[in-house]
This record gives sequence, C-alpha cells and structure tokens, in this order.
Amino acid sequence: MAGTIVIEFPSDYKFLNIVDLVTAEVVQTLCFEHKAANEVGISVIEACTNAIEHGNKQSADESVRIEYHCAADRLTIEVCDRGKGFDFANYLAHIPNPANIDHLRGRGIYIMKNMMDSLEFEMVPGQGMKVKLVKRLRGEGGGDAQQG
Amino acid sequence: MQSVRIHSREKDGVVILDLQGKLMGGDDADTFKATIYRLIEEGRKSVVVNLHDINWINSTGMGILISGYTTMRRSGGDLTLLHVSDKIRSILYVTKLSTIFRCFASEEDAVKGFEEV
Repeated sequence: MAGTIVIEFPSDYKFLNIVDLVTAEVVQTLCFEHKAANEVGISVIEACTNAIEHGNKQSADESVRIEYHCAADRLTIEVCDRGKGFDFANYLAHIPNPANIDHLRGRGIYIMKNMMDSLEFEMVPGQGMKVKLVKRLRGEGGGDAQQG
Repeated sequence: MQSVRIHSREKDGVVILDLQGKLMGGDDADTFKATIYRLIEEGRKSVVVNLHDINWINSTGMGILISGYTTMRRSGGDLTLLHVSDKIRSILYVTKLSTIFRCFASEEDAVKGFEEV
C-alpha cells in the first residue's frame, strides 16, 4: 500500500483514542509484525501527547495534524502542532536517564527515539513544530514478518 | 480530565488496585496519588496495580506508576504490577524501568510475591 492518510484533531487527550485506532489500522494494513506495530502505536501517542501538552498548551482552539506516509519499505509519520517548539538539538544531546525514578516525566522523546528507526524534529516557520517518525518495514514483499 | 477508574479490593492482606481505562496524566495523577496516600495512612504496605483493563498508557502515565512506587517504597511498602500488556511491557523494557518494577502474570503470584520480600 502506498499513499498518505491525514487526520487532524483538536488538542484534547480524548481524541487520542481515535489516533490509536487509525495508527493500528495503518500498521496492520502495512503488515508490520506485532512488536513493531506496538512500537509505532506507542510512539505516535507520545508524539501527540507532546503536541497537545507542550506544543499547543492543551488549547482546544489549536489542532494537531498527523500525516501517515505509507511506502513499500517504510511508514513515515509526521505529527505537527501549532506551538513555538523547543531546543530539540540540546534536548537530544542531554536526554535524561529514563530509569531514574526520581524523574516522573521526560521519557516520551527517549521512547520515540528508541522505538522508531528515525526521529527528527523540525520547526516550520509560521506553523509549528513537526515531529517526523520513521519505521522501516522488514521482510520480503514489504511485510514485517521477519523481524524479531 | 480523568481517564482512569480505580477500584480497590483486598486479597490475603494485599491491596489490589484494579485500574480501568487509560493512564495518561492530567487528573489521573491526582486520583492515583490520592489512592496511594490513603493506603499509606491506613498502614497498608503491599499494593498490586492490576493493569488488565488499561487500554493504553503513555510516558506520563508511566510517571504516575513510578510516583506510586516511590511513595510506597519510601513509606516502607512496595508496589508491583499485574497483567502487564505487550505495549506496557515494551515501554518498561525500553526505558529500563523493567529493572525497577516487579511484574506478575497472575493475581495469585502477585499476592505471593510479597511473601518472598
């Protein structure tokens, strides 16, 4: 399957249910194996949580846009908010230890970075922050059945 | 916004918290924290968090569980996890929190788990 699926929703956590369902359908259609499908689902929820909370400051007037770009060998997901962004280069260079239980927050980016094949941030002038997640399909014929 | 419901029950002196819904931050943190503090005030030391009916969790929700764990440990108790889904297990593994939380597949084992500590 090749093509792009786009959804846009107000900055409210209650819509993450819909995001989770759409993501599950996309990874199933692309034949990702179970573990990889879970990793994509978890990462998209993390990206959307950050977009709602940090990007759009939970303002229901602002929306979060997700683009699922499906290709024969990979799924690329772009999550865009309307926020002012953050110093992602500095953050990525100093990601906190996720096993430190003195920290209750700050594991979302670490999770995305370790569950996806690629994680990029881009500040789009006049729009907001864009998070780009890539998961490659492994196995012959585009399916992911060979991945352990 | 509250996404999680918590039902408290007891088995062989162990408190089992049945969580239902989504664990993702917001008011969920206050609800869970209030439950843990109430249990500590009641002198309870052994708490199992049953995640069987948790549809999904994000890193903020994981922080809520960490908060409950550290609060119980600092008061001389312990908190373990029951019925951890593949998704939650993935998060625990990748964040290395799997080395912190004891996880059980059955309620019987979870309750017995406190006898071994």
